[in-house]
Amino acid sequence: MKSIFKLSKIALVIAAALLVTVLAACGSGNGLGNSANNNDSGGAAGETKQAGSGVKDPVTISFLHWRGEDQAVLDVIIDKFEQEHAGIHVETQVFPSDQYQSTVQAKLIDGSVGDVFTSFPGAQFEAIAKAGLFADLSGESFVSAYEPALIEAGQKDGKQLALPYQLVYNIPIYNVALFEQHGIEVPKDWDGFLAAAEKLKAAGLTPIAFAGADIGPGQFMNPMVMNNAPDEQIFAKLQAGEAKLTDEWWVKTLTQFKELNDNGYFQKDALGTKADAANALFIQEKAAILASGSYQLAGNKASNPNLRQKLLAPITVPADQAVFEGIHTTTFMLAVNSKSKHPEEAKLFIEFLSRKDIAAEYANGTGQNVTVKDVDYTSEELKVVSEWTTKKTRFQPRFTITNTEVQEAVLSSIQAVLGGTEPQKAAEEAQAIVDQQIGK
Amino acid sequence: MKKWMKLMPFWAPGLLLYALFFIYPTLTGFYYSFTDWDGLSPSYRYIGFDNYAAVSQDIVFHKSLVNNLKFMAAILLSQTVISLLLALRLTRQSKAIVALRALYFLPTVLSSVSVGFIWTFIYDPTLGSLNALLERVGLSTWAQNWLGDSAIAIFSVAAVQAWAHIGQMVILFVAGLQSIPKELLESARLDGAGRFSLFFRITWPLLAPAAAIVVSYTTIQSFKAFDLVFTMTGGGPAYSTEILSTYIYGSAFLSYTFGKAATASVFFLALISIITFLQFRLLRTDRISY
Repeated sequence: MKSIFKLSKIALVIAAALLVTVLAACGSGNGLGNSANNNDSGGAAGETKQAGSGVKDPVTISFLHWRGEDQAVLDVIIDKFEQEHAGIHVETQVFPSDQYQSTVQAKLIDGSVGDVFTSFPGAQFEAIAKAGLFADLSGESFVSAYEPALIEAGQKDGKQLALPYQLVYNIPIYNVALFEQHGIEVPKDWDGFLAAAEKLKAAGLTPIAFAGADIGPGQFMNPMVMNNAPDEQIFAKLQAGEAKLTDEWWVKTLTQFKELNDNGYFQKDALGTKADAANALFIQEKAAILASGSYQLAGNKASNPNLRQKLLAPITVPADQAVFEGIHTTTFMLAVNSKSKHPEEAKLFIEFLSRKDIAAEYANGTGQNVTVKDVDYTSEELKVVSEWTTKKTRFQPRFTITNTEVQEAVLSSIQAVLGGTEPQKAAEEAQAIVDQQIGK
Repeated sequence: MKKWMKLMPFWAPGLLLYALFFIYPTLTGFYYSFTDWDGLSPSYRYIGFDNYAAVSQDIVFHKSLVNNLKFMAAILLSQTVISLLLALRLTRQSKAIVALRALYFLPTVLSSVSVGFIWTFIYDPTLGSLNALLERVGLSTWAQNWLGDSAIAIFSVAAVQAWAHIGQMVILFVAGLQSIPKELLESARLDGAGRFSLFFRITWPLLAPAAAIVVSYTTIQSFKAFDLVFTMTGGGPAYSTEILSTYIYGSAFLSYTFGKAATASVFFLALISIITFLQFRLLRTDRISY
């Protein structure tokens, strides 16, 4: 009996220890109630302290982003930054882009990570701005290093909350050699585009590799809609209830998607094809056009060094009615967390990235164009893209949809049409979802 | 020392963990379902039953619910029937049979995300091995746009879910079958029972507890199959594979409407509870006696 009593005592102690551990774990994880005002809460990615004497202890700043493929280049740049700013250490955390959308906001709230972070334009930018997690960068000297027209996506209420770093053209890539081989000029209107696709199809090629299962609709809708609805506020109006997906501009866009699909200009079963498979068709030169964007140029070239690639946008109207030549997106928006304990060090890091020689190192190393002024591009692909800076392009319409569920409804209507639904019906079904979302 | 104090070390840790990791989050979720919290802002408002009205009328929620029921029915039927048929062949204890049980169990230990990626490649219409195999054996008319055709995409995902979990259910059924007293089967045989009457009059009624576990576990699994859907289709094409768990995830982490996501979770909890309760009643697990 005595030993049983002893055993139960031990068990009680274990239970109590377990209770304390679990409660402690729960306590540190609960950020909602105390995060807003309590600047001392939470552990930093690397602890730093300001010494009372004014001598700074080493500081670790945390950098959150989603470009895992750029990390090797960024590591070299970070080394240079750390050499120049002895005492500042940059610790990087990278998440895949889809996870980044869902996890980064929660991480930013208590300021322990993400002193410097990146944001997508559109819905994520709006959500982070609404939560007050962007430090205002207006008036910082490094803002002037950027092309003013290319950093508008990071502005809100007259403040520069984030600085878009990458410049992407969300228009299809074409295989120059295949176009030349079949005597095809870059089409200037919709009839020309269909004729080019027909010629490619007759030659036994897949005219357009389209990743209908994931990124395809979200990328290709942009050039498809740009001239059907030249009003750059069209999706803002849709969310305000002033425009509808059942209007002519969207039904026409869906009808043109259907035309491409029904004519067999996309590869077979395009709705089941993911980006990797669509890219493979283009890289293996089985497809002449890849409906993605300039961000894919470097990856394609790495897989097939013989590829000669350029960009083209489908012009969905007669040539004389075309207002825009293509689509651009400024993304990978650099920002400082308003809850950061080291905002000055964070700004120093952004200042470093904003220098034209560093931006050039990033661009040439990663194959991504940047929004920083006067950058020298050395690779063939980046030169191809930089040709587009003088053309009349508009900001990616999809990113002007700030309500994710409205965006999903828009993209789903494209998938529905490719799956056999009539454009008018698909538009009506999507509009019904939009109406619910905007409370109409 | 009182008796309950002495026994406390036995029930307190479990209760504590259950309270912290199940009851507390459930109550918190219930609380947030009456708010418009966006998951980020430090403040939120109480909006009464607005979320409940919005979610119950939401077109995408309705689609998710219907898809989830289709998904559940497909998995429940295929997983239960196939695992039972396999278990009936795999009850004996020989080396070959133990090896086969281990083989069938293998997919269960793979992470669902890996399973999702593997099968996404297998199903791919241009590069995938499934259509290529069908064409090679002369069944090219059976080749499908497995994940891209909105009429069959949910069933293609359900097939993967069943593939991954049949082995697990086989083990549960084998355990149930091995617990049936041999004398009962022998005496039934002596009384002239054939194979079918032996199964339907002796084996199946006595398998009810194992069947109830398989059926309820499969049902709950089918509602929680988030990772598979997320990696394979992301809910598309055109919402055709959107299920309740992906709807909740989207509402919370992509649309930043935590209040709405919490409301959908309450519906989700109620639905699973009702279905599981009905299944236990229908399978009459309380009536087993030897």
